[in-house]
Amino acid sequence: MQQIELMAPAGNFESLQAALDNGADSVYFGVEQLNMRARASINFTLDDLPEISKRCKAKHVRTYLTLNTIIYDHDLSIVKTLVKKAKEADITAVIAMDQAVIACARELGLEVHISTQINITNIETVKFYAMFADTMVLSRELSLRQVKKITEAIEKEQIKGPSGKLVEIEVFGHGALCMAVSGKCYMSLHSQNSSANRGACKQNCRKKYTVIDQETGFEMELDNEYIMSPKDLCTIDILDQVAESGIKVLKIEGRGRAPEYVARVIKCYRNAIDSLENNTYDKEKVVSWMQELEKVYNRGFWNGYYLGQKLGEWSNGSGSHATQKKVYIGKGVHFYTKAKIGEFKIDAYDVSIGDTILVTGPTTGAKEMEVNEMLVNDEKLLTGSKGDTITIPLEFRIRPSDKLYKIVENKVEV
Amino acid sequence: MVVITLQRNKCIGCNYCVELAPNQFQMSKKDGKSVLLHAKDKKGFFTAKSNDDIIFDACDKASKACPVNIISVKNI
Ligand code: SF4
Repeated sequence: MQQIELMAPAGNFESLQAALDNGADSVYFGVEQLNMRARASINFTLDDLPEISKRCKAKHVRTYLTLNTIIYDHDLSIVKTLVKKAKEADITAVIAMDQAVIACARELGLEVHISTQINITNIETVKFYAMFADTMVLSRELSLRQVKKITEAIEKEQIKGPSGKLVEIEVFGHGALCMAVSGKCYMSLHSQNSSANRGACKQNCRKKYTVIDQETGFEMELDNEYIMSPKDLCTIDILDQVAESGIKVLKIEGRGRAPEYVARVIKCYRNAIDSLENNTYDKEKVVSWMQELEKVYNRGFWNGYYLGQKLGEWSNGSGSHATQKKVYIGKGVHFYTKAKIGEFKIDAYDVSIGDTILVTGPTTGAKEMEVNEMLVNDEKLLTGSKGDTITIPLEFRIRPSDKLYKIVENKVEV
Repeated sequence: MVVITLQRNKCIGCNYCVELAPNQFQMSKKDGKSVLLHAKDKKGFFTAKSNDDIIFDACDKASKACPVNIISVKNI
């Protein structure tokens, strides 16, 4: 079995670094407005492309630029600019849904990956897009059995992409699922004039709804008012079956998520993929990975449609069920390289010996550790509070732009 | 007087403002973002003033439709 490529989301440099530090094989990200997270203020800009490429290359990590919204006439020249700059920065591939983007990337000699929004559900469509693309995401609604049929047919019929290699199939492995057909949704456009297909989804399916029969006024009794908000996809407990289906790329969702989310989820899936590889994947490990995954943002987990479930499992809340949360403490001040000690200034709250801290930053990524030793204003104290300067021995380097958080338990209201 | 402001760098190029106020907005073929016509740029905030009160309604509609809320319209 060929090793599965683990593909991580990167919404900014912090998440990018977290993905690199925790074992991603590839990362995907958007720049400017033409991607599915156009609303997010954390998008990279065109000028960031060389730096992204440089950091990833140093770790032999592939880079994918998402350019997967619908495209209007007035977008055509920015599409060209984006693809050209991506090519110049030696980005590995562009993830596309519009034929104009596919054509443009092919023309400029950039590898193309077909985005889930194209909605590939059969082998003939795979054959069709093989004329343009080396990797394709299949529709989210397929079962693993169906996925397997497609990957077997690729092998049997030797369906090759422009690179001359067999077409690789990618599926979603973890993260948000919504009720739209493979990401194509008009709900946000209908209700709030904000098109998901231009990266402006307002996530109104995540809210509470009531269903009323207009004729009788009968209100449907629903145990759960979140009738359109599915739980998050999680496949770590069925990863052996996912791998069996012959997929080559496992994509993790979450370009809008915090860097510690990326760090933790990528770390778990890295471990899981490696365990499959060396035959140590077992139930016990799955249980501990699940506990880890529950600590960061989630709406509850289910296996998606992979095992043939007919309907979604619905979330019972609008927000996260994460068992942990971070509390802002202060900022990085200095790192004493020789002694490997980090100095922080506390702006809020307090931090004590025994606490788990999280340090995030564009170069630092997201690093978590327990505080075993600490000096508060050069004195050995157990707790530092607002206004204090603390120094902590660290296994990693920090920078003055870094933020310091404390990890605390999150009481989940269900 | 009607004062319209567009915070251009946040535009996602969805084209709604142009549909609703075609005389005030146009999509740029260069970067795919909206352009507020006859506007002055001050640190990314483009402002246009007009004595023609009729344009208020159209611009108000555009401002309400903009999914990223970057258009503001005032009648002063
Ligand atoms: S409506 Fe807003 S986001 Fe859409 S093109 Fe106009 S200014 Fe840009």
